[in-house]
Amino acid sequence: MNCEELRSDYAAWAMGTAEDPERSEITAHLERDCDVCVPGVRSALATVTSMSLAVRQVDPPRRLRKRILALVMPEPGKSWFSFWLPWAVSAAFALALLIVVIPRAATPPAAHPGETAYKEVIDILNDPLTKDAAFGEPAARGRFFVSPSKGVVFIAAHLPTLDPGRTFEMWVIPDGGKPIPAGTFHALPDSTAVYFHQGPVSAAAMAISVEPDGGSPQPTTTPIIVTKL
Amino acid sequence: MHAAPAFSPPLVLVLTSHPYPFSSQQRYHLQSADRMILPALILALELSGEHDEELALRLRRKEPQAMADLYDRFGRLAYSVILAVVRDASLAEDLVQETFLRVWNRAHAFEPGRGALGPWLLTIARNRAIDHIRSVGSRMQRNSSEFDAREHPSLFVDMERDVLNNDHARIIRLAMAKLNENQRKVIELAYYEGLSQTEMADRMDQPLGTIKTWVRGALKVLRAELGQEAAA
Repeated sequence: MNCEELRSDYAAWAMGTAEDPERSEITAHLERDCDVCVPGVRSALATVTSMSLAVRQVDPPRRLRKRILALVMPEPGKSWFSFWLPWAVSAAFALALLIVVIPRAATPPAAHPGETAYKEVIDILNDPLTKDAAFGEPAARGRFFVSPSKGVVFIAAHLPTLDPGRTFEMWVIPDGGKPIPAGTFHALPDSTAVYFHQGPVSAAAMAISVEPDGGSPQPTTTPIIVTKL
Repeated sequence: MHAAPAFSPPLVLVLTSHPYPFSSQQRYHLQSADRMILPALILALELSGEHDEELALRLRRKEPQAMADLYDRFGRLAYSVILAVVRDASLAEDLVQETFLRVWNRAHAFEPGRGALGPWLLTIARNRAIDHIRSVGSRMQRNSSEFDAREHPSLFVDMERDVLNNDHARIIRLAMAKLNENQRKVIELAYYEGLSQTEMADRMDQPLGTIKTWVRGALKVLRAELGQEAAA
């Protein structure tokens, strides 16, 4: 489609309401720095952004500022978990979890385990090829960050309480293939969890199921979380 | 799906403070009958973009205080936008946090001298909220690349710096009041619920072409009222 045909859909694209073929066509024009579509979409985005000023303003809780600053200003003595992922409120537990979940072979022997995991997690978050996918209630809410070459970071809140002898297990689901186990983990006492799986991943979807301690080679229960990428 | 909330009514602001520059600790002194809404306009002033360049440079250098200043400047508006979409205060906090972390991690791609920091952040904020309600509602499982495209920093280069200033805050409310009922409805469905035009057609039991006409008409009115260059 040419630019003239797409002009009337700039606003819908900017609001996220455009549909194919116009949506993908506009995106393609933007990717090649189209002289017509880039300024057109930019103007539409400015209008949509202006609309945020029409929203009735609400004071956020004071704790939110602290939470956000904790992302970049870790207090002395806290681990990288609370630095990046405030849901993981227990630094000691998080570090212990991290040590457990990182494959031994993947951890350089001379490195401090927390520092190593920190770097690996940051690499995943910063990887331009990383896809992230959110999931919501009723089981839990959170997000997967999946780097095809580096691994998966999983963060979640409101996870269900498990019976004794049960654990959460992560699954990588390839396109058209069977789920591949990607390690087990437990939630923190506040029902949050942060889990890091290192290594190349080819996933069309990610899932979490509840399995017997030690994990299973294939899911034995209906996954509580399934998220397409 | 919940009903979209109505946009706030027009309001009047009287400023009795110093012009830029200001620090995050400084406060404007305002007089108005509506104390609930005034802080929005304080922020609207702060959002005008005069300090985008300096703040963006500090974000690129990963200076922690830059995050504090970013939050002080945009946090309330980002929270309000997200809350208006998801209607859950706890969830809104999580999504605001995601928003700021995303800006922090992608600041290196932002052009400090030319980019409009506030519009970029608010686009990310709304995208996070829309992404969430779509995923929870199991509808429109769109690829995250759709959001990535709409959040690309290059789209915020050379955007007018005062897109979020206090004049726009007032004008946008007046402009919303000028939309007819159908135009306002489609804008609310799009903005607050992230419905596609096909979904809007189903919801409103109208032909898709009619919905597209209403959306285009609504945006045309808003652009005209804001004095923004017509894109379509």
